[in-house]
Amino acid sequence: MNHFQALRIQIRAYLIFVILVENLLIIVGLYYALGHFDISLAVAALGAYAVSVVMTFIITFAATDYALQPLKAVWLTILHILPGEHQIPAPNVSKLPVGRTLVMNLSAQIYQIASVAEQYDTEEQKQEKTLKTRSNLIANSLPLPLLAINKADEVLFANETFVKYLGLTDADVLGKDVYSVLDMSFPSDDTFDTWLKRSKTSTVTATKTWERVRLNRAEDQTALQFDLAAYYNKDNPQGVETLLVLFDHTERYSQDDQAMSFVALAVHELRTPLTLLRGYIDAFDEELGGQLDGELKDFMFKMNAAAQQLTMFVNNILNVARIEGDQLFLRLREGNWAGIVQKVVSDWTLRAQVRGIKLECTIAPDLPTVGVDPVSIYEVVSNLIDNAIKYSGQGKRIVIKSALTKDGLIETTVQDFGVGIPETVMPNLFNKFYRNYRNRAQIGGTGLGLYLSKTIVTAHGGNIWVRSKEGEGTTFGFTVLPYAKLADEQKSGDNKDITTSAHGWIKNHSLYRR
Amino acid sequence: MDGQHNSTTPTNNTPPNGRKLLVVEDEHFIGELYNRALTKAGYDVTVVVDGLEGLKEAQTDKYDIILLDLMIPNMTGIEILRKLRDPEQTPKFHSKVIITTNLEQREEIRGDIEKQADGYVVKAEVTPRELVEFLNTVK
Repeated sequence: MNHFQALRIQIRAYLIFVILVENLLIIVGLYYALGHFDISLAVAALGAYAVSVVMTFIITFAATDYALQPLKAVWLTILHILPGEHQIPAPNVSKLPVGRTLVMNLSAQIYQIASVAEQYDTEEQKQEKTLKTRSNLIANSLPLPLLAINKADEVLFANETFVKYLGLTDADVLGKDVYSVLDMSFPSDDTFDTWLKRSKTSTVTATKTWERVRLNRAEDQTALQFDLAAYYNKDNPQGVETLLVLFDHTERYSQDDQAMSFVALAVHELRTPLTLLRGYIDAFDEELGGQLDGELKDFMFKMNAAAQQLTMFVNNILNVARIEGDQLFLRLREGNWAGIVQKVVSDWTLRAQVRGIKLECTIAPDLPTVGVDPVSIYEVVSNLIDNAIKYSGQGKRIVIKSALTKDGLIETTVQDFGVGIPETVMPNLFNKFYRNYRNRAQIGGTGLGLYLSKTIVTAHGGNIWVRSKEGEGTTFGFTVLPYAKLADEQKSGDNKDITTSAHGWIKNHSLYRR
Repeated sequence: MDGQHNSTTPTNNTPPNGRKLLVVEDEHFIGELYNRALTKAGYDVTVVVDGLEGLKEAQTDKYDIILLDLMIPNMTGIEILRKLRDPEQTPKFHSKVIITTNLEQREEIRGDIEKQADGYVVKAEVTPRELVEFLNTVK
């Protein structure tokens, strides 16, 4: 009401000022009309003026109140419908002495406007509800799958795209554990759950993205692949601790997979006749071996060696395709190094013999157990021996040695006494498809072996190196880690197997133990 | 030879070792080679080329060792393996299951095989003689 009072005071002051000035002018006018000063007349005039002042105040007060009544009524009408704390009663417009019709019309219009407005935002609750509906609408119109989870890792909200993307219903998702809704595999051990656990203990807010996440689903459903973005906010007032957004790339990523599965198929088709070939050679060798004369026996020998070589080449193709497709998996486990190396050496004795080469293997006693993927490391040793045989030239022996280094690693060397490697080609030796041009014509092979060996050894946490002198021979060496050291680094705890990757997939660990 | 149920009695000097062996293998010639080598080594061998038939035969639980190929008609080796390991579908089962395949597995399937099979052999990597040596160590 303060502004209304102020207005009333202003009007009164104005009226009083105008009336008093006018009265004063009348008195002065009278004085001049009389032409002379008369004390009694002056007293009478002053008396009249005093009376007029009093009258002016009374009239002004009454007139102002009277004239302002319509405005006051409109004012009160507006105050009445305002959702304020003070409950102001509606003014009785029908008893207004002035401007009744005008005020009645005005207030009718005010009420009408107010009632229209009420439908939208009169009550606070209604406002909040509207806001929620609106954000749901926004979330649901988002063409990206969105998931909100709470502190207990339970799903609070999933937008329509999410539910549709996974082929689920709200009931399958809401209130469920996020890891049971999203059974994800990540390309490295930097997984969503390790990030979330870390975020929960160490930060207030965090964001992170992952590429090439794979969703594990029942066998009859296509595996979904996507990039994932997550936002963590410890103190979100709505209890939404973590938000997840998925960016589907199933088609693009599975094209990469299909390239891989073509290789897998080709490998299968190559291996079937190889199996037969080796089976028949085996049968011939077993049953005819003793009866064959020198040359035929030699042919049998060479046929067998060639079949073995082809088998290894097929494996190399497959493994290179795996590396290229980020699909090379290593399952590091505890193993006896001497056993692993001796197995390779015995498998290669035949092929070395075909070339008149003797394999000499010396393994230091009491080596600690190693942490390796036996299949992959078999291929490393195989490739190094294969290389040594190919480049032996006139050399008739290959020396294989394993020993413990000063740093506590297990080092294995394969030494030949052949043509050696020119210094100029050394830097490219471990590159894919690289072969010394001078040798290309004379020596078979694809140049995949060393590239593959380097990748596998590196993924094991070891190193590979070469030392060579032209005309004197070459030594390749590589290291692997003792199991104890590897286990320390990985802190795997209960599990004897350690899963690692050379860019391969790794299971989300909390699920892995499910 | 059609590769089906062709039990052969040992003809060599090796006395029968009494172990019964089921080969589920759709590649006829491979089945034939394995049959020959294993029979010579004293095993009582049965070869089956079809997945469904392989499962039925395996569920009789009369074999000591089962060689199970993965890519076979009508039912994959993985499915057979799962059904054999499910007590509801195969209540009594004591055979050792060795996966024999030339197919490279996806990681999830490989993990599954590792959990459920007793052994895994890439066929191209072993000759029949090496297979016999390997099976002799399977107890």
